[in-house]
Amino acid sequence: MQRPEHDNLTKLESMKEEAFLGGGVKRIDAQHRKGKLTARERIDLLLDDGSFEEFDLLMTGRASQNTGIGEFPGDGVITGHGTIDGREVFIFSQDFTIMGGALGEAHAQKVCKIMDHAVRVGAPIIGLNDSGGARIQEGVESLAAYGEIFYRNVQASGVVPQISCIMGPCAGGAVYSPAMTDFTFMVENTSYMFVTGPNVVKTVTHQDITAEELGGAMVHSKKSGVAHFAFPNDILCLREVRRLINYLPSNNRQQAPILDLRDPAERTDPALDYLVPANPNQTYDMKILITSILDGAEFLEIHPHFARNIIVGFGRLGGQTIGLIANQPAVLAGVLDVQASEKAARFVRFCDAFNIPLVCLEDVPGFMPGPEQEHGGIIRHGAKLLYAFSEATVPRITVIIRKAYGGAYVVMNSKHIGSDMNLAWPAAEIAVLGPKAAAQIIYRKEIEDAENSEDMLARKTEEYRQTYANPFMAAKRGFIDDVISPRDTRHRLIRSLQFLESKRKIRPERKHGNIPL
Amino acid sequence: MFKKILIANRGEIAIRIMRTCRSLNVKTVAVYSDIDARSLHVREADEAIHIGPSPSTSSYLVHEKIINAAVEQGCQAVHPGYGFLSENSAFAAAVVKAGLTFIGPSSEVIAALGDKISAKNIAMKAGVPVVLGHNLPIVDIEEIRALAVEIGYPVLLKPAAGGGGRGMRLAATPDELESALQSAQEETRKAFGDNRIFMERFISNPRHIEIQIIADKHGNVVSLGERECSIQRRYQKVIEEAPSMAVDTELRARMGEMACALAKQAGYSNAGTVEFIMDGNRNFFFMEMNTRLQVEHPITEMVTSLDLVELQLRVAAGEPLPISQKDISIKGWSIEARICAEDSSRNFLPSTGLLTRYSNIRGRNIRLDSGVEAGSFISVYYDSLLSKVISWGETREEARTGLINALNRYHIEGVTTNLDFANSILNHPAFIKGELSTGFIDEFFDNGDAKIDPPIEQLIDMVIATTVVYHFWKNLVRESLKPMTAKVGLSHKPAQRHCYVVKGNKDIFEVELQGQVSSRDWSVKVNGNEFAVVAPVFEFYRRRLKLSINGVNKYFRLQYRQNFIWNAHCGISRIFELYTPREWELAQYMPKEKKGAHENVLLSPLPGMVVSILVKQGDRVYRGQDLVVIESMKMECGVSSPCDGIVEKVTVAAGKAVETDEVLITFTT
Repeated sequence: MQRPEHDNLTKLESMKEEAFLGGGVKRIDAQHRKGKLTARERIDLLLDDGSFEEFDLLMTGRASQNTGIGEFPGDGVITGHGTIDGREVFIFSQDFTIMGGALGEAHAQKVCKIMDHAVRVGAPIIGLNDSGGARIQEGVESLAAYGEIFYRNVQASGVVPQISCIMGPCAGGAVYSPAMTDFTFMVENTSYMFVTGPNVVKTVTHQDITAEELGGAMVHSKKSGVAHFAFPNDILCLREVRRLINYLPSNNRQQAPILDLRDPAERTDPALDYLVPANPNQTYDMKILITSILDGAEFLEIHPHFARNIIVGFGRLGGQTIGLIANQPAVLAGVLDVQASEKAARFVRFCDAFNIPLVCLEDVPGFMPGPEQEHGGIIRHGAKLLYAFSEATVPRITVIIRKAYGGAYVVMNSKHIGSDMNLAWPAAEIAVLGPKAAAQIIYRKEIEDAENSEDMLARKTEEYRQTYANPFMAAKRGFIDDVISPRDTRHRLIRSLQFLESKRKIRPERKHGNIPL
Repeated sequence: MFKKILIANRGEIAIRIMRTCRSLNVKTVAVYSDIDARSLHVREADEAIHIGPSPSTSSYLVHEKIINAAVEQGCQAVHPGYGFLSENSAFAAAVVKAGLTFIGPSSEVIAALGDKISAKNIAMKAGVPVVLGHNLPIVDIEEIRALAVEIGYPVLLKPAAGGGGRGMRLAATPDELESALQSAQEETRKAFGDNRIFMERFISNPRHIEIQIIADKHGNVVSLGERECSIQRRYQKVIEEAPSMAVDTELRARMGEMACALAKQAGYSNAGTVEFIMDGNRNFFFMEMNTRLQVEHPITEMVTSLDLVELQLRVAAGEPLPISQKDISIKGWSIEARICAEDSSRNFLPSTGLLTRYSNIRGRNIRLDSGVEAGSFISVYYDSLLSKVISWGETREEARTGLINALNRYHIEGVTTNLDFANSILNHPAFIKGELSTGFIDEFFDNGDAKIDPPIEQLIDMVIATTVVYHFWKNLVRESLKPMTAKVGLSHKPAQRHCYVVKGNKDIFEVELQGQVSSRDWSVKVNGNEFAVVAPVFEFYRRRLKLSINGVNKYFRLQYRQNFIWNAHCGISRIFELYTPREWELAQYMPKEKKGAHENVLLSPLPGMVVSILVKQGDRVYRGQDLVVIESMKMECGVSSPCDGIVEKVTVAAGKAVETDEVLITFTT
């Protein structure tokens, strides 16, 4: 039956049809030629098939009244909610085909609406950013709009997980929204982030630099640490967002999901007995241990390219999501430096905010020495990690694999700063200083006086190693709850998590602590 | 019989010898170097003695240390295994001098047969045919030139000392002769301190056939049939089988008689192997005699039901052979694959590291001689052989499929191995037909990959396994998260059909699954063809999967990385990527992956001091090969090549301090 043309249902259908085309076929083709997907295609891939429900499809900006630029349904952003493996998330996806995804008042209102919903219902917020920046024609309104979003990012922080995907340009003030979310994903070659672009850099400092070199995915994932992940294309990036979400609770009132991979809790790995080389100066790869103990060898590493001397990421033990912090002896001997401390501190705080137990695998020779580190503020950055661990109330477990020296021993989730369960491998060396350095100080006189001082040093070093550099001194004091057989590590961790499941710890009342930022 | 013996070896062969000793109630003493302190052979032995630092020149090759250990532990005999001191006549003599028995032939016989020239003389005296060549060691190039004309090109240069193909060079034309000679001499001088070279006519595409013999000290010699070891890479055997398709009963008898005659002529006792080269007309020529137990001895044991180590011990103890030639019969077929820690795609470069996962294989008619376990450390110091997988069948085909199935289940992780390479040889049509020659690998393989495409049937099996595993995973995630989903409106029925697009290399498959995870039966459509699949409940920490596809059980090794699943089966190993149909539709817009511009330079990953540089300008290097050692934070770490290529320039020197991202080496690719 034919419907009359002015029927609202017909009108609605044609309005939706127009909205679905965004900036039109030509612009969509242009987007594809750049190797980018459209805002709607991205939503398709991120959410479960057919689960997306859109808000404000028909909303337009007031732009036309003030500036004479066109009125576009949706105003350059698609917002709504849908599910990822059955769980609700809220999402906004900027549409570069409409005014380059520029952010104006209506655009921002739409984003704020879903952020408010997300906080009310306790569901994660995922932003897919692909925007040229503020809509200049809207003037201060668009700046106000950014502010509204920033404010909500902060209000939502620690309440629901917030994830940003940078899938195109993200420049100027716009970068601060992703910067305040919990995890930032970038796509290689098609995305960049910077406060000021290459043109301004050229004018101000006369440096020639491309957008990719200044703020591309690899720069931010390797050097600046702004991006937690970088992927070669949109499809791989969105798949990883889904994967990350599966590790997280939907909000800070929920426990993290239990995902049973049918990996037996009592599974032992005899290879671990041989992981630590007999020679203390030889390295090994901590990732062998990580993939061995976790359920199904599944590990979602965060910041895999940044500060590689520390490894952080999510895994599961007995189905339970855990946040894993591990020194990596294969990179810089696993030393703690400015970047490693910051990387780990931020991760620890995220896990604490979202009820994710912390497991720390420790092999740390100390803090990185040198003027570069001291002048770079290793004292205050190292303090961040110390602070973050100390204030965490989630279940906390440490396994000392090999080295645990000096201040770094204390910082890495020691018993003394509130860890619940501290285990050590038999190869653990827990002491104030490494054997050689310690022998040089304690036996300075004997070594100087000896006929063959090198021999004496070697003897005293060995003496010190036998006496102090072992887990037994600490175990005698109760700082180590047990010295365990390496092959049993997985089972012991899961048993500890079991008894800690009901852990409750109330912090003293205060507005908030003052972490040394 | 001996009460206690020392085994002057390590790895699988030490363990193999101990097994027989245990059954004969002979106590065993193992020896070990620093790095082997935690090795399997040490724990398998009744006693173990530390004999020095890791390099074999300071441990397994030091006569006095081993003999002292044997004497101190009260051993009566020393078994040398293979390699190391097994063919060292001085060692054999020293063992005897210390009042012990050397389990092998006498020192004089080892010396006589160990020198290729004198061995050839013995063979000729025994009436055994030898390859055209000459019987004098040569050093001078002019002399060689003249002789080469006499023998006729192509010629093969072989060092007089050593074995196992070390230092062998081929010269196809007179132009190549000088450089071939130089490199042959250089290698043999380095390895054995001897630069005498022996030259012979090169027989193209020959088969390598060897006869196992065993002789007692009472003049009895029997031959135990042949082994075909034609499948070799760089003169090292990879696949061996017994019997050979090129040898019939009559020929076997003739070759056996020749081998026995040679052993008698040499005054041989104990187990030994006479190696022959065979041309296309089944003419065979003596190459050399190995005066020890061979790596591939198990295939002879499988087809003769004898225990060669037991026979070795008995004849060494002075007992007469318990068998005579008429007792020996060859039953069925046996094939062995040598599993080595090496990368067949990178010119068989050895690979080292910790075996992070290892699963032994068991099965009817399958024998595994392994020297490793989970946690074993594969070091640079010794041979890369990890284990040998041996199958037996009534027919060659049965033995072949049995071995393939075993390799499909054999899981080793932590170091790169030639497992899939060996398996792809067994699956190659030319191998199936038995068209073997020592040029097999060069002819049919390129960088470890078969030159022909893998059979589509096997690829489809792999796609089915990959998709089923992925689907199980997805389902498990959904089921686990159910308690956290909205409780409203949960009555919808789950989908019955699940579609995926699976991409592996350039091959693309459309897959449709039908079935329920709760049941084990699935119907899987690949590119429109339907398969009935019975799948187990998959446990994601396991790396092996057994699936029944259209009623046939198949085994796969898998590594799961979300949408990327590595799958190895029948010698094919691939990473498959799984797409949803919507992803596949949109994948066309994704940019081609760009290669990083900085791939052909080696950057320092950390600040530190260069300890040593392991390559020089012009060297061919492979991705993952350690090129520079840097010390930092009192730790030494190797920096490995980011690419395959040729070293263009080394920009640092040992002792230099380097910063992060400083250029160490540049390459041309």
